[in-house]
Amino acid sequence: MLLPALGFGGARPAAAQAAAKSFWFVGTNLIFAKAQNRGGETAVASDDPGLGRFLGKLGASLSYDPGQRYVIVTSGDRRTIVFTLGDARYTVAGVTQSAPFAPYQSGGSAYLSLTALAKALYVLPVEQGGATILQPQIGDLDVRTQNSVTTVTLRSALPVKFQRVSAAGDERLVVSLNAVGTSLEPQREVSGSAALHALSLQPGGSARNPTTTVAFEVSPGTAHALGASRSQNELVLAFSNKVALSGQPVPANGDYGSGGAAVAVRAPGDLSPSAPTNEYAPLPADVPGHEALPPPPLQAAAHVTSVDALPAGDALDVRVAVSGPVAYEWHRLSDNRWYVDLRNAVLDTPARDDQPRSTAVLSLRVKQISADADPVVRIALTLASPRHVDVEPAAGGFTVAVGENDDGEAQRVGAGRIASGAVISNALPIAPVTGSAGGPSDFWSKPTPAPPAPIARLAPGTNPRLIVIDPGHGGSDFGAEHNGLIEKDLTLDISKRLRTLLVARGWQVKMTRDTDVDVFAPNDSAHDELQARCDVANQAGARMFVSVHINSFTSASLNGTTTYYYKGADLALGEAIHRHLAANLKTIDRGVRKENFYVIHHTDMPAVLVETAFLSNPSDAAYLRSPAFLQQVALSIADGIGEYASNSPQVNVSPSDGL
Amino acid sequence: MKALRAVLLLALAAAIAYFLYRQILQPKRVAADTITVYYCKADGETLVPWKVTLGPARDRKSVAFYATAQALAGPVPGVEAIRFPQGTIARSVTIAGDTATVDLSKDVESQPGGSFAESGEFKALVWTLTDLPGISKVRVLIAGAALPTLPGGHLELDEPLARSNW
Repeated sequence: MLLPALGFGGARPAAAQAAAKSFWFVGTNLIFAKAQNRGGETAVASDDPGLGRFLGKLGASLSYDPGQRYVIVTSGDRRTIVFTLGDARYTVAGVTQSAPFAPYQSGGSAYLSLTALAKALYVLPVEQGGATILQPQIGDLDVRTQNSVTTVTLRSALPVKFQRVSAAGDERLVVSLNAVGTSLEPQREVSGSAALHALSLQPGGSARNPTTTVAFEVSPGTAHALGASRSQNELVLAFSNKVALSGQPVPANGDYGSGGAAVAVRAPGDLSPSAPTNEYAPLPADVPGHEALPPPPLQAAAHVTSVDALPAGDALDVRVAVSGPVAYEWHRLSDNRWYVDLRNAVLDTPARDDQPRSTAVLSLRVKQISADADPVVRIALTLASPRHVDVEPAAGGFTVAVGENDDGEAQRVGAGRIASGAVISNALPIAPVTGSAGGPSDFWSKPTPAPPAPIARLAPGTNPRLIVIDPGHGGSDFGAEHNGLIEKDLTLDISKRLRTLLVARGWQVKMTRDTDVDVFAPNDSAHDELQARCDVANQAGARMFVSVHINSFTSASLNGTTTYYYKGADLALGEAIHRHLAANLKTIDRGVRKENFYVIHHTDMPAVLVETAFLSNPSDAAYLRSPAFLQQVALSIADGIGEYASNSPQVNVSPSDGL
Repeated sequence: MKALRAVLLLALAAAIAYFLYRQILQPKRVAADTITVYYCKADGETLVPWKVTLGPARDRKSVAFYATAQALAGPVPGVEAIRFPQGTIARSVTIAGDTATVDLSKDVESQPGGSFAESGEFKALVWTLTDLPGISKVRVLIAGAALPTLPGGHLELDEPLARSNW
């Protein structure tokens, strides 16, 4: 027998602490460790872990802060329940109700009536054998008729699970809802509907395993269908004997909790994308010989066939034999470590870590630090004192020349490309970086070490031909993932295409990353990661900064292309780029918008962030799968950069300006 | 005569004490019965205001907390809106000068909607709080800590947010 525990006027003695009382909710024993007895009613504390578990299972949450008077609970279906300390009235979705007692504060917690809170969340406390069963309910029933269609909405405490009891095709519909009881009126006449006369709700099962059977009495010739529900906790049924219903037939079984979202009445065809194929011109070939940093990605890897240390008095030459052209980037750290990374290179000799016969160098290490798609060989030195180190072309490779002592204030980063003993493209003038570095263990972990602080900056536009491209996310940060697409891969793809186009047009390009890596460090903080990306542009005094991203949203319906700016100086660049994106892409034009994105806020030069399209939208995702589309994005950005540059001639700034 | 003077002095002292209590000790109150809460439509751009009736507590701190919780909950179920992740709660709301500091639970980091959703959520929260008299900026903390950005979406948090951020 079910005994609703709603009588709060009883003469039970009040005690400070409730008697050890057992609460059960959907098969779980809940312990309200801080519960108090308030005139026979259970008062639960806002910060009781047991209450947290209870609310968590319902998808609800509670906000309270001592020092103010509201306790606000949001249900799983986003109804707001507002309690006020010292006032027995509370509101549920704006409707005022009355609790057995006014919420009160004690020991930094707010105490609420469990009965009132549970009822607002469609849960009924049922006493059974000394225990209180918190029974999920069908807590609300809504019937409305519009345009000859009568819609019945049943709202449950938990995601709806049901069986259809009546046979498929029967006019009379009977459904049985699992795991929920009800204390709603068992019979309800429906007026104003030609299709539905009445419905009945019959509780069944046990206190711990309740069911509710709902029977719908209909007129002859009435059809019924499943309607679109607004949350997992709603069951919507539509009835009509006049018009055809668009929803799907009520299935034999329904489980709204498993899919994570409400069952929506949506034809499968709605989501089929219009695949963009061969809509664009073929890809232009990469332009050889004009690459800025780093090398083109599709070239065969160079092989490092030998590394020899040749002491020369106080100095040391490290001769490196390489099978073909190779791009390199060297870094000098503040603790007398120096290294050079050979991009797209494979180490044919064993890795080494030894001390050359030289007073200048304490150790020489050679190692393949990444393999697979993007192989990198690192040659690292620990110097005895600050030394000048040069990378010099030599027959069949190059020489790392450790020279005389220096003051340590020299250039700290450099890069270039060597083939057949000659430099074929030199490094960009990269600003000095004051160094700091992690310990020896993380030294090998990735091609580029942590950018240090403080950061030396060059004035924006010091390098008037330099554009920094920032492929969003990377490494441990995948960005958004939807429809089998990963943001970090797409942003890198577009960025590499953009680099090729810009270099062909005579720009210098630096990428914040050109492989699948974190720019700062794996699993770093967002701040470090984003600042590292800004530092690349700020240190180099770049003319422009373009960050490439792919958008996503919880709703698949949203699509389109957006260009973001933040600083006033960004707007003209953003508008120029967006004009070309909007003209060339078949995505929806979402315009140029202002947004406080870190990378565009904290870069010194005109900077924009392009959200190319929505991964989460099937149509946009189909575009993003097309290399022609990605090329078109890159081309549009490059065209926008060109337009901006011709409209906004570079004003020469000296490095001391604007810092 | 002496007694009369004593009574008058006492009355004056009481009046001054009452005035001080009203002006200084008692929290400033919000006069209106409703507040305006905003939500951002799924297009990420359009802000929609709606009126929410205040409960009986009208001191500034309570009203700011109330407004925050309403903005976190969003509009009634069924309205398509950019919503804060489920479970996101206000741990505290404090006001200093023209800045409200909102401490949110970690749930806000579980962004299934990415930076696009984050922007809509925070735009709605900032508009809601800056609609209250005397508040023009909103500082956001997560689990008590000041973060330079939200982890999901690159949206900057290291300076108080204002309407001019959008």
